[in-house]
Amino acid sequence: MSAFLRYLLYLLRRSDHDAELREEIESHRAHRQDALEKNGIATPAAAWASRRAMGNVTLAIEDVRDVWILRVLDSARQDVRDAARGLRKSAGFSAVVIGTLALGIGANTALFSIFNSLIVRQLPVRDPDSLALLTSGSWSYPVWQQIKAYETDLFDGAFAWSRESFDLVQGGRPVPVDGAFVSGRFFDVLAVQAFRGRMLTPSDDRAALPNGPVAVISYRFWRQQFVGADDVVGRQLTLHPQGLSFTIVGVMAPGFSGVDVGRMADVMLPFAAEPILRGRESVLDVVGQSWLEIMVRLKPGQSVEHANATLRSVQPQIRAAVMPGFRGDPAFGKRYLTRPLTLAPAAAGASRLRTQFQTPLFVMVVAVGLVLLVACANIASLLLARALARRGEFSVRLALGGSRWRLARLLFAESLLLALTGAGLGLLFAKWSSGFLVQQLGSTVALDLPLDWRVLVFTATLTCLCAISAGMAPMVGVKSVAPGEALKDAGRAVAADRRFAVRGALVVAQVAVSFVLVIAAGLFLRTFASLSRLPLGFAPEPLVLVQVNLLASGIPPEERTARVARLRDAAAATPGVRSASASAVRLLTGGGWFSNNRVAVGDGPMLPEDNRKRVWRNAITPGWFETMGMTLLSGRDFDDRDRIGSPPVAVVNEAFIRRYLPAQQVIGRSLRVDVDSGLRYEIVGVVADAVYTTPRDGMLPTLYVSLAQRQPQEWGSNAVLTIKAMPGRRALVERDVATALTKAEPTVVFTSRTFDQMVDATAAQERLIAMMSGFFGALAMLLAALGLYGIVAHAVSARRTEIGLRMALGARPAGIARLVFRRVGVLIVTGLVLGVAGSWWAAKLITPLLFQVEARDPITFSGTVAVLVGVGALAAWVPARRAARLDPATVLREG
Amino acid sequence: MGLTNTPSDLLPGTLELLILKALASGAKHGYAIVEHLRLASDDILNIGESALYPALQRLLFNGWVKAEWGTSENNRRARFYTLTAAGRRQLAAERAEFDRMVGAIQRVLAST
Repeated sequence: MSAFLRYLLYLLRRSDHDAELREEIESHRAHRQDALEKNGIATPAAAWASRRAMGNVTLAIEDVRDVWILRVLDSARQDVRDAARGLRKSAGFSAVVIGTLALGIGANTALFSIFNSLIVRQLPVRDPDSLALLTSGSWSYPVWQQIKAYETDLFDGAFAWSRESFDLVQGGRPVPVDGAFVSGRFFDVLAVQAFRGRMLTPSDDRAALPNGPVAVISYRFWRQQFVGADDVVGRQLTLHPQGLSFTIVGVMAPGFSGVDVGRMADVMLPFAAEPILRGRESVLDVVGQSWLEIMVRLKPGQSVEHANATLRSVQPQIRAAVMPGFRGDPAFGKRYLTRPLTLAPAAAGASRLRTQFQTPLFVMVVAVGLVLLVACANIASLLLARALARRGEFSVRLALGGSRWRLARLLFAESLLLALTGAGLGLLFAKWSSGFLVQQLGSTVALDLPLDWRVLVFTATLTCLCAISAGMAPMVGVKSVAPGEALKDAGRAVAADRRFAVRGALVVAQVAVSFVLVIAAGLFLRTFASLSRLPLGFAPEPLVLVQVNLLASGIPPEERTARVARLRDAAAATPGVRSASASAVRLLTGGGWFSNNRVAVGDGPMLPEDNRKRVWRNAITPGWFETMGMTLLSGRDFDDRDRIGSPPVAVVNEAFIRRYLPAQQVIGRSLRVDVDSGLRYEIVGVVADAVYTTPRDGMLPTLYVSLAQRQPQEWGSNAVLTIKAMPGRRALVERDVATALTKAEPTVVFTSRTFDQMVDATAAQERLIAMMSGFFGALAMLLAALGLYGIVAHAVSARRTEIGLRMALGARPAGIARLVFRRVGVLIVTGLVLGVAGSWWAAKLITPLLFQVEARDPITFSGTVAVLVGVGALAAWVPARRAARLDPATVLREG
Repeated sequence: MGLTNTPSDLLPGTLELLILKALASGAKHGYAIVEHLRLASDDILNIGESALYPALQRLLFNGWVKAEWGTSENNRRARFYTLTAAGRRQLAAERAEFDRMVGAIQRVLAST
């Protein structure tokens, strides 16, 4: 050890060391010259002779260096070589350990890299700490113009952007590409440099478009779409089915694709280009349309609190300038004016994913951390068992003069080698699995997952911790080995030693931790099961859903009603189709068209606005209920008589009646809703409840109106066709309908999917959590079972002599098995007690992720106990049976 | 150890033993050690710098000697080596081992 310290000292002052040595050798020569002179030789001749006698000084210095470096390197290399040889000798053991570690470290790295990208990592822009996001929610362009007027007075700059999906025309067909409209100083304020060409400037963002329609693209998009072509600047990008071209003026710096985390804006256009893309449907000047996000850069030294205060001082002017219409509700106007504008720090960017996935991600990070803990305990236990099995070898080494320090180093080198190999494979596994996990988060999520220094430091730390924690146990085991011991007792010892206790404690910990994980898996699986069992109110199996992008299809508002009808007819005429209906809103997106409780029944008063009591709305064609498989309970469906000019009619569902018309005659009553102020609907039918937002939200009050009674300009930018296929023909129908639609309307832009896919997507997060926790729970349980098996097997083989003796003296096989089981039982029961206590406490933390399951669900708890007891018994049964079948004669003869 | 910087006419490890012995009578610098060995061996052992200094470094590395800068009898700056307690024990052990080896070799040579 002290040699090692001296070596470190040497490394620290190595150049001094060499200089000292040169001086020393020169002094040696000078002494020789002195001696020669004393013998009467003249000074110059003496100097020359002494120099000649000196020989090769450089070589001597190098030899000296070797003394220091080679010794340490040598022994390190030897340790590694010995360790590698030892591990190769037991390849099975090494494979199990490395595999376990690779899974454990890989899973941890994968989750951490997602956690890092989504939550920790700062934006790759100048001084991200001074960025602040205007919360909460989105804003209209007029609001942004107000804030822009103050950007240099109050802040060090401000910018706005919107989240868009543009239709990139490729080979005549539009392909959606994620992008954004950005304000003129977006790149300037963020200080994002151009990789090629230039970024957008305020002069690109003027209404007259003095530079023509221009766009910048992301580095990623440049590599994918233009194969990294050098002449990309100046090329055209067609972003509209009717052939609207934008000139590419620049490529963004690598790694930057907007300030949204979880989506990558590949094409960015100035806001001024919005009216030419959307034409008459431009929302640039619409006061009531909230569609963009606003960020500011704080002045140097300015705190968020101070920025908030200054912003609020000008809030009345900002709000007053952009008052939307108040729908005749003064209270609403007052709330709008006084709701404070609030800035929040946004160094890591803006993200809607973050709030959604923060808790589940955190829970998963904890879960995989626990798995790694179990894995380490297992490896420690295995290494310890291995070290004990090698006691013979060790005591011989000690007897032959090997030092204890050297032995410990060898064992540690083994652990480190295992951990490093495991970590290397783990990184590969992480690279693959993190991409897979992000895919599972949903098709709209795009997350950049670089293996940056944080991830690598995290993995390196984990690896070291694994090596240390797993490597310590065998060292404890070696400490008590005495030289020559192996020669004396030759394995005759009766096992009841301290080292068994160490492994026992490890197994208890494993059982406890895997219990917690299995409980979590059970709760999440039950949550997912309850979500899948929820009633939908419609039959998704035969349904195909086609979403038509009216804007991108180039269908002007006044033609929409007629041309959607033509599309519906084309779909209905396709072979294999039972029925086809159109609607304004797509279900199961979590949102839709709603009114915040503003309903007036008959001549009653308009109810006050309340966003916790929403009424969901949809406009549909006749036959839609039948297509969906929803039951009409009373009254009638819409029919062809319900058109513009005829009295407005509505159909409501049971939830609507429960809230607004309890115990009343429903059919024939009249209703007013929201801003359709003049319209008075007559209720003509009642339909059974069906899910509108997500199954988790349940059955919500819903009001259906006739699509044919809507004004053409009331169309949104999308129309929805719901198509019911004949049994077993859905896949064919989905394909044929696509052909039929394109034939009917050559410019039509649409996406289609089956209804089941949409239902599945509503529980995607829960499914992912259930899947992952199930996997990790099973993994932890498997590891615990292996640990248990290992310890029992070891105990049995160590007590062979004792068992043989007992049997020779008349013990029955059942008695022997009981002997083994009693010992295992203590371990399992202790582990379970700890596990139950831990889960009881930890279950509360995951309550927000559960649905229709108690966090301390007795069924899950008792089920998990049963499963673990079963697994534990199985793990112990194999070696116990082996013990019970021992032949006492053989054992005693072998002695 | 894999290092052999001892002159080929000495048994491995013998040079270290001789240096330890030379230092047993008191602190010496490198040239003085060489002179001591030359005089004590009647001019037979003449150790060069390229053998002496690596050997001294091995002794330093093992903690058997200490080194300090001082002024020599010729009034020159020189590095003086002193035996440590561990060095003294090592000298005794190596000396016993050496006697055993030499005795063994002699017995082999004396046998017919």
